[in-house]
Amino acid sequence: MAATSFPGAVKGLVSAKARLSEPLRGGSRSLLVLYPRRGGMALVASATPLELSEKVAESIKNAEETCAGDAASGECAAAWDEVEELSAAASHARDKLKANSDPLDNYCNDNPETDECRTYDD
Amino acid sequence: MASCTIHTAPYSCSISRPAAKAFSLGFHQRHQQLIFFSSGRRSAVVCSAEKTVVIGLAADSGCGKSTFMRRLTSVFGGAAEPPRGGNPDSNTLISDTTTVICLDDYHSLDRTGRKEKGVTALDPRANDFDLMYEQVKAIKDGVAVEKPIYNHVTGLLDPPELIKPPKILVIEGLHPMYDSRVRDLLDFSIYLDISNEVKFAWKIQRDMAERGHSLESIKASIEARKPDFDAYIDPQKQYADAVIEVLPTQLIPDDDEGKVLRVRLIMKEGVKRFAPIYLFDEGSTISWIPCGRKLTCSYPGIKFFYGPETYFSNEVSVVEMDGKFDRLDELIYVESHLSNLSTKFYGEVTQQMLKHSDFPGSNNGTGLFQTIVGLKIRDLYEQIVAERAAASAAAAKV
Repeated sequence: MAATSFPGAVKGLVSAKARLSEPLRGGSRSLLVLYPRRGGMALVASATPLELSEKVAESIKNAEETCAGDAASGECAAAWDEVEELSAAASHARDKLKANSDPLDNYCNDNPETDECRTYDD
Repeated sequence: MASCTIHTAPYSCSISRPAAKAFSLGFHQRHQQLIFFSSGRRSAVVCSAEKTVVIGLAADSGCGKSTFMRRLTSVFGGAAEPPRGGNPDSNTLISDTTTVICLDDYHSLDRTGRKEKGVTALDPRANDFDLMYEQVKAIKDGVAVEKPIYNHVTGLLDPPELIKPPKILVIEGLHPMYDSRVRDLLDFSIYLDISNEVKFAWKIQRDMAERGHSLESIKASIEARKPDFDAYIDPQKQYADAVIEVLPTQLIPDDDEGKVLRVRLIMKEGVKRFAPIYLFDEGSTISWIPCGRKLTCSYPGIKFFYGPETYFSNEVSVVEMDGKFDRLDELIYVESHLSNLSTKFYGEVTQQMLKHSDFPGSNNGTGLFQTIVGLKIRDLYEQIVAERAAASAAAAKV
């Protein structure tokens, strides 16, 4: 499922915050976010940013190769440690994307006193 | 600790304090009192500068963005955010009162360096403890530092960022209590101990969406890091003032989803300014199931335990919760039966939990105990402030 925009949306409109990932293969899940955009709605897949995702996949392959040689070596541990570090970074990036996806939320975080953002706790 | 020195000659208290400039910029992060008076032949100079309170948090889950940190900074008020205008990949979080720094910034080897040497990030050889000690000490003494940044995305060490001494400094990472000098600087320390089964379940949830990962790769990653983890990270828990241990539930046989958890809050006895929480009767052993006639709970219910224990040859008190909260009234019911919570008003724990009901762990012991530890740290901080005020008032009378 590639990123699509509904008829009426201005073609080529890409938000700086939305990351368009390549067609997702079966088995990987991602969050679909509906974006209000001038002229219509855009459906964007909010998955891990592409470069990070690739880095994770690469590091896993690398770790498997390194450990095929000597599973108890320091190099093997370091390789899997790198996988862990990148997976954690990918997870944080996903959370960040999710957190940044609503423009109103972002505006209100910075300007909580404006009329649109006031909350009333009774 | 406030340091007061009395000299017999008129003497101006000179401390090299770049942070003093921050005071004039309007950041009320530091207070600096300089009382200089001379009466007759005896001159007394009192310097009561507020030293930063330092909290250490040992956790394996990456830095700064963790749920624990967000709950902690929320208890103190204000949201913690990355420093504005700086490196976007900075790991530091700053709020009005608190600064959270990530100890990964003290890596001496970047990702390439570690690969070459064949060491993991858990290995002390990959970390510069001298620099960590120097800088934490400097911040504690009120001196701003240029702290390196470790970029988790690129795996490189980026140019340093300026850290101004805050009221409360939290150092979070893999080795806050590893080096004894750093350990001595900590006013309070916490260790987050996730058991292997729960770690596995959580990592599956985190990584299965990731292309390239499989059950085997996740398992292999945990296994490969285990030797270094057990050798260098795990032993730190004996030094912690509070340990939050997360285990699989005992209420559901063969549960492997990690959704219902058994969480133990292990509190060291005899720690200065820290009074462990207790259930009903301090020092006794209590087993408590709140669900019954007054409170209806859904499956699998909630079970509490409280009692004194020994942990690595330390006297500790343990409060344990197994199960999960489904409703607001379960939470407030439990809160009303716990003692020594250091809340400022009835229901504060529940309110904090509700405020962050979207955070992971908000319906079980992890959220509950993290919130309670946050309140205990707030109490500790306020005690320190009160002690300093009393000390400088007493000294000023001299």
